[in-house]
Amino acid sequence: MSDFTWGNSTSEGAAWPKRIVAWLVRHPPAFTLILIVLVSVIVGAISPEFWQISNIFDMARASVVTGMFGLGFLMILAAGGIDMSFTAIAALVMYWITTAVAAYMPSMPMPLILLMAAAGGTLLGVCNGLLVHYLRAPALIVTIGTQYVIRGFLLTFIGTELFVNVPTSIESFGKYELWQVETDSGSIAVLPAYVLVLVVAAIVTWWILNRTLMGRAIFAIGGNSSIAERLGYDLRKVHVFIFAYAGLLAGVAGMLHVSSNRLANPFDLSGSELGVIAAVVLGGARITGGSGTVIGTILGVILVTLVNNVLILAGIPSSWQTFVVGCFIILAGTVFASRERT
Amino acid sequence: MESSKSSQFSPTAAGGPPFLELRGIHKRFAGVHALRGVSTSIEAGQIYHLMGENGCGKSTLIKIISGAQPADEGSILIGGKEVTALSPIGALSAGIETVYQDLSLLPNLSVAENISLTQQLVESGGKLARRIDRARLISTAVKALEAVNLPADPRFWSLAIEELPIATRQLVAIARAIATDAKLVIMDEPTSALTKREIDNLISVVGRLRANGVAVLFVTHKLDESKSIGGQFIIMRDGQKVMEGDIKDHSKSELSYWMTGRQLDVARYRRAERGADNLLTVNGLSRSQAFSNVSFSLAHGEILGVTGLLDSGRNELARALAGITPADGGTLMINGEAVALRRPIDAINAGIGYVPEDRLSEGLFLEKPIRTNIVVEILDRIKNRWGAIDETRSRNLSKDIAADLQIVAANLDNPVQSLSGGNQQRVLIGRGLMIKPKLFVLHGPTVGVDVGSKDTIFRIIQKLAADGMGVIIVSDDLPELLQNCDRIMVMSKGTIAKVFDAEHVDEDTLYHALVTDEPSRTLS
Repeated sequence: MSDFTWGNSTSEGAAWPKRIVAWLVRHPPAFTLILIVLVSVIVGAISPEFWQISNIFDMARASVVTGMFGLGFLMILAAGGIDMSFTAIAALVMYWITTAVAAYMPSMPMPLILLMAAAGGTLLGVCNGLLVHYLRAPALIVTIGTQYVIRGFLLTFIGTELFVNVPTSIESFGKYELWQVETDSGSIAVLPAYVLVLVVAAIVTWWILNRTLMGRAIFAIGGNSSIAERLGYDLRKVHVFIFAYAGLLAGVAGMLHVSSNRLANPFDLSGSELGVIAAVVLGGARITGGSGTVIGTILGVILVTLVNNVLILAGIPSSWQTFVVGCFIILAGTVFASRERT
Repeated sequence: MESSKSSQFSPTAAGGPPFLELRGIHKRFAGVHALRGVSTSIEAGQIYHLMGENGCGKSTLIKIISGAQPADEGSILIGGKEVTALSPIGALSAGIETVYQDLSLLPNLSVAENISLTQQLVESGGKLARRIDRARLISTAVKALEAVNLPADPRFWSLAIEELPIATRQLVAIARAIATDAKLVIMDEPTSALTKREIDNLISVVGRLRANGVAVLFVTHKLDESKSIGGQFIIMRDGQKVMEGDIKDHSKSELSYWMTGRQLDVARYRRAERGADNLLTVNGLSRSQAFSNVSFSLAHGEILGVTGLLDSGRNELARALAGITPADGGTLMINGEAVALRRPIDAINAGIGYVPEDRLSEGLFLEKPIRTNIVVEILDRIKNRWGAIDETRSRNLSKDIAADLQIVAANLDNPVQSLSGGNQQRVLIGRGLMIKPKLFVLHGPTVGVDVGSKDTIFRIIQKLAADGMGVIIVSDDLPELLQNCDRIMVMSKGTIAKVFDAEHVDEDTLYHALVTDEPSRTLS
């Protein structure tokens, strides 16, 4: 005889609206997808330009940097930590490397530059990870600290001026086309090739989280770090890894930002942390850690980008964007919170 | 560590070295000599009960065996070979699996992952840059689930642990031990959160483990249970092993004498007579999906026991009386006056004291001082004229109650987590008493409390009733109810199934009433 009894009130005989809510609570990304479809349908009905291919390409382009940040943040959040330093890492890496390459090796090829950005981001991330591990302090506090330190270092020692003489290899990487479509109006819509970087990053992140022992160790620690430690998971390895990985993605994201804007502004990216966190949470990850999916994070990023970019098409003033994102967060928070209460 | 790993393949023939041997283990913590030269051995295929009061050193001993803490002196031999330092991974690869009271399950991972990830982690030697073998993960989990009577079905093993009831989690924790090919499974008070039926299932699983040559070590307070399981016992007191032997050769009072060092009363505590008129009248109390149409009354000075299986509604009834999860139908009268309990504060104002079931998560502010925990429900009464808390009054009130309840603490300003389980429980009882309750609801008053503390708590309960307080004890510890109550109410499927006169009923009859009318939703 089995000692486990199936079924609770939600699964049998409950009314269908209740069942749908229960299903959504268990599959948060589906909720995010519904919000995306809802916004698209409404905006598309008000303004048919929404469905133009150029608009969709624009959004894909706008999602890349947020998406890279989001994947890194997801990795840390899954282990129960919070990172506030990724924008500062990205800003330092992009500005320092861009100015240095322009000054000393203007002909350096892009793959090498990306590699340098990745290495620089990883290095800063490792520092974060070691500090979080050995200080035994909350990651939130430590990374707010490193955010200020890194930004202060950048503005004091590296520079504060807008840099526009971006090396040609960086500039041409941003122009490289993956897909080109001629629109009805005769203009040309371009999907830049660097969106593939986000695709690759998403696949790699998914693989690490779901197919390796490291991935399971990350969730284990996010679920309960003292139990995970007792079971033999090495907290130091995990702490260093997640911050190094988030640093790597942030470094690469910084370079992509320069590529697409064709200029390096040391004040860029600063302040976009909360938007990234909002995207990850809208994708169904609990802010207390131990959960979250790559698909949810990508959907969350798409949702935030969508709201930021298309409300203007529907005739809604851009100042309402934050208002709408805020409402979505509260809505998502309410729906996802009920999963802890059941 | 390598040597310990190879030892698990060497057959432990009869007459060979025991699976695990401890010689002269000492452990000191900042001035406390927690273990003073403990030596004992564990043979394959045997059942052991490690017994002793809180603070006797048994938890420390477990931590040393499981590699969570190093010993200061002494040696550990596995299969006759000395192991110098035992780390968690080292103990696991030697086949020692510990199921702590919190079960060491990761709440957000699936059943299958909780069961079989450890196996792959141990094989990688703790390295994390490895692919997971998903097919093996699942096949190992399925095999282990079958061994503990749980459904080996994707619908089940893909559930997250946090979605499961506590008894099922217990079995999952044991399944993990099986999956790692454990040679010794240590269970730290495995039954404290289980009902009797669940305990029976656990015991049958343990029997099967043992038949496969696995040694099982229970860390326990419950003498009755240990006696019914049978096997060897090891009794510790003050950091030393005081006695070991076959549990069937010794009586309960002998065992508790060795544990406490004093003679304890095992007879009925209840002597006083209950008062006449009704203190509490409950009429048709209901809460949807928990209990329905519950009616009973309680006299002044009466002690009523409430028991039932985990899903019988007994816990929900207790929480409804405390205003935590309020009833949605029926009436409740105290001294003839109707009271509505919608929030905990309503119950406090109505004079209902409540001691929650899980003192760690529902009751105590663990890091706060003892005295803060005691006065937390009466802050309104101890504020001075500026609205701040009068520290002197808080200190005096807690000092009085600590003396009344024999709370043993060096200083009432110490955090409550520094106390032993029995003392923590008395702090909670003290808190309930601060509101000067007319009715006292005790929910599992002696869960995880040692024999000596149990005795003290029972005496306190009897004294309260003798002074005219009405007491309701909600518990699945049947001997406890039989020893203390006037009447015992058995609940089943949310209703009152039967009411017994506690003086004229025996444990078997009570147990039978508890398990008949099994819920029919159980899988095959």
